[in-house]
Amino acid sequence: MMESPADIEWTGYSLAERDWRWQRVRDDAAKAGFDCIFVPLCVDGRNLHLSLEQARGTRSDCRFLTQLENAAVILPTDGRKPIIISDQESGNDWIPELRPVDGSWGTSMARALIDAGMERARIGVSGIRRSLYTHGRAYHGVVNHSSYAEVLRLLPNATFDNATEVVGHARYVKSEEQIACLRCGSAIAAAGIDKMIELARPGMDEGILYTSVMKRMVELGSEYYPMAFYSGLHGGGRLPRFEDPTEGRTLRPMYRIANEVDAVFGGLIAQEQQPIFLGPIPDEWKTAIDVQHDLYYAALEHLTPGQPFAEFMDFVNGFGEKRGAKSIMLMHGRGYGDDGPLFTPQNRGARNRDVLIESGNVFIVKPIVKTADDSFDTSWGGCVLVTDKGGEPLVKRTPGMVSIT
Amino acid sequence: MPWTTPAASGATVHIWNGYSLAERDRRWNAVRANAAKAGMDCIFVPLGNGVDGRYLTQLRCSAMVLPTDGRAPMVIADRRSSNAWVPEPWQTGREWAEPMGEALLDLGMQRARIGVAGLKGGSVSHCTSIDGVVNHTAFEYVMSKLPNATFEDATDLVGVVRYVKSDEEISFVRQSTEVATAGIDELIKLARPGVDAGVLYADVLGRLIELRSEYFPLALTIDAIGTEKPKRYLNPPLGRRLGPNALITNEVNAIRGAQLTQVCQPILLGKIPDAWKPLIELHKEVYEAGLATIKPGTTFGALTEFVDGLGVKRGVKSVVQLHGCGYGDDGPLLSARSRGDRVRDLRIEKGNTFVWKPIAMTADEKIQFSCGGPLIVTDRGCETLFKREHGMVSVI
Repeated sequence: MMESPADIEWTGYSLAERDWRWQRVRDDAAKAGFDCIFVPLCVDGRNLHLSLEQARGTRSDCRFLTQLENAAVILPTDGRKPIIISDQESGNDWIPELRPVDGSWGTSMARALIDAGMERARIGVSGIRRSLYTHGRAYHGVVNHSSYAEVLRLLPNATFDNATEVVGHARYVKSEEQIACLRCGSAIAAAGIDKMIELARPGMDEGILYTSVMKRMVELGSEYYPMAFYSGLHGGGRLPRFEDPTEGRTLRPMYRIANEVDAVFGGLIAQEQQPIFLGPIPDEWKTAIDVQHDLYYAALEHLTPGQPFAEFMDFVNGFGEKRGAKSIMLMHGRGYGDDGPLFTPQNRGARNRDVLIESGNVFIVKPIVKTADDSFDTSWGGCVLVTDKGGEPLVKRTPGMVSIT
Repeated sequence: MPWTTPAASGATVHIWNGYSLAERDRRWNAVRANAAKAGMDCIFVPLGNGVDGRYLTQLRCSAMVLPTDGRAPMVIADRRSSNAWVPEPWQTGREWAEPMGEALLDLGMQRARIGVAGLKGGSVSHCTSIDGVVNHTAFEYVMSKLPNATFEDATDLVGVVRYVKSDEEISFVRQSTEVATAGIDELIKLARPGVDAGVLYADVLGRLIELRSEYFPLALTIDAIGTEKPKRYLNPPLGRRLGPNALITNEVNAIRGAQLTQVCQPILLGKIPDAWKPLIELHKEVYEAGLATIKPGTTFGALTEFVDGLGVKRGVKSVVQLHGCGYGDDGPLLSARSRGDRVRDLRIEKGNTFVWKPIAMTADEKIQFSCGGPLIVTDRGCETLFKREHGMVSVI
């Protein structure tokens, strides 16, 4: 039984959590030789919308450091308090004092950098390019051009270098408070999946199904994060993907449904995934489904801290072959949006081979298994916390395809 | 050199794209005409300016180069997407800078005067994004590939086209308003003392998307009437139930046909205090007088002065609050914070659609009242789409 929103007692992250985040960023900035970390104005997610994850990720660094939806941050490495510039009317418990945007973001940010003594500093800029840990889908970063160009113009003697990895690495390892929020989000996403299983039947209006799942998650306290919904007959090529309630589409017998069901709690995006088939599962699919089930659990055992991803990737990608199938790693970080490292069939994650798996990482683990002839593939997954003993699912569910007959 | 679609570029995301080809040509030709008048060789909608991109392509994520001389535009599209408007775009995965640069070079813009949409905030579009919406690193790359071209802000050249709606667009503004109104009806139906505020939020949002609105955050401000700084929520409130005398102010948004509209009407879980009644009456007068003033030819400066004057006569304040309906961040934006100095001389035109929700407030600004919704500017005046009875809804 899940709590309804009125009974949820969580009131936000603690000041200790704020200080922990800031210190992690300062420590990595100092190691990299930066005088400060600068999170500039970033483009909003409605305008920079390469994917759901990326759109949510545009202003994720400022949310991580301030809990404000839109802000620029100057965090000196030497331990001084950060300067926060925002167009929001008021601050919050973490940031009681804001500097307003005066005329333009560009001049306001430049003035703040100068006030912090950064005229000749080495300034680490987060979000200017993609990184291994964050903004992995945004190859060109997320920074707003006009304001940033103005900052460069007004500080001609400072050096601006990419520091996306610095904030990214701080985000990569989750605190206990963050893990608790992701656990809550995973449970809400699982409840969304339960609602989908309850309602998905031949004849069901897909738009109403979509709405019902979304409503269920919001009424449990999740922020609205669009579900990715795929449906259609098997064998007709890739299933179409929708991120809004569809119009004029009805579920039919023998339809496959795939999904990415995300819930956001405490600003962190959890995801659970559950393939569904509206009919008895064909025999020729069963081996791949079984292999996917076994691969998921085997992957959890291998997801241990202290090792680079290389060995884990090779294990997952090679698992299927031993069982007469094909397996592909599909996995990425969980957090404030566009969290990495990113392993997809399109991006096989080769650049991530040397990234270390760390205790406190949280990933969506959803490996794909295909039949040897590529005629069928399946992916099931959910959020997994890396512990010293291996991967721990944040909510208990069983891998497989749900058959609704 | 033509761009080659990457072998693996991810899943296509289907979004609504139901406007006609005639509508596409109307939009493209109007932008071209504005660009020609301004002496631009093309209009460039770069990565970051998703809203203008969607307006000109009906794609979820696109970049575009639209030559002024009438040649077909080059469109860079996300993840194998295409549609009837843009059947053969250059498709990309996550790499945008290179195809944008290639598109400009292919169209011969090496030494051109290039108008960039979204480089800065505009008068009637990208109004709240005062420093624009363009992605820095991709745009820097493009500029480096065309060192002899000049790049200038052209946000308003696209913006003024978006500012005047076609009949097709207006039909969706109407639909969108109906959906938003259904959302506020749901809010009024369910808001009662003791109700879980988070569940209420979910019910109203659920109603909007059930009627096939695209998602846009619902804004609810909830606190006991008279609270100095009531709390505003863009997500389901946690740990809250509605109390007696809770005042729920709201912005209920809906999107149909990519047209974002909004209705708002305060709801009080109790009897309306006497102190509020004259203000609500004044608001009605301001609202209706404003409707009579909003017609083709009126400037926003004149509208602002007229509305300001109505409150002064009564020893209170009345303030214009208005913004455009459309693809998002539409203007002009007039509010207590943004007085619209930049658009004082801009004239209202037939085909404009605005959310009209003036504010009436006491001289000390402690009591403020606002309600309203979309309107359409017609030949001689305007037609309000906000059909609810004026006033504060009292739920006893």
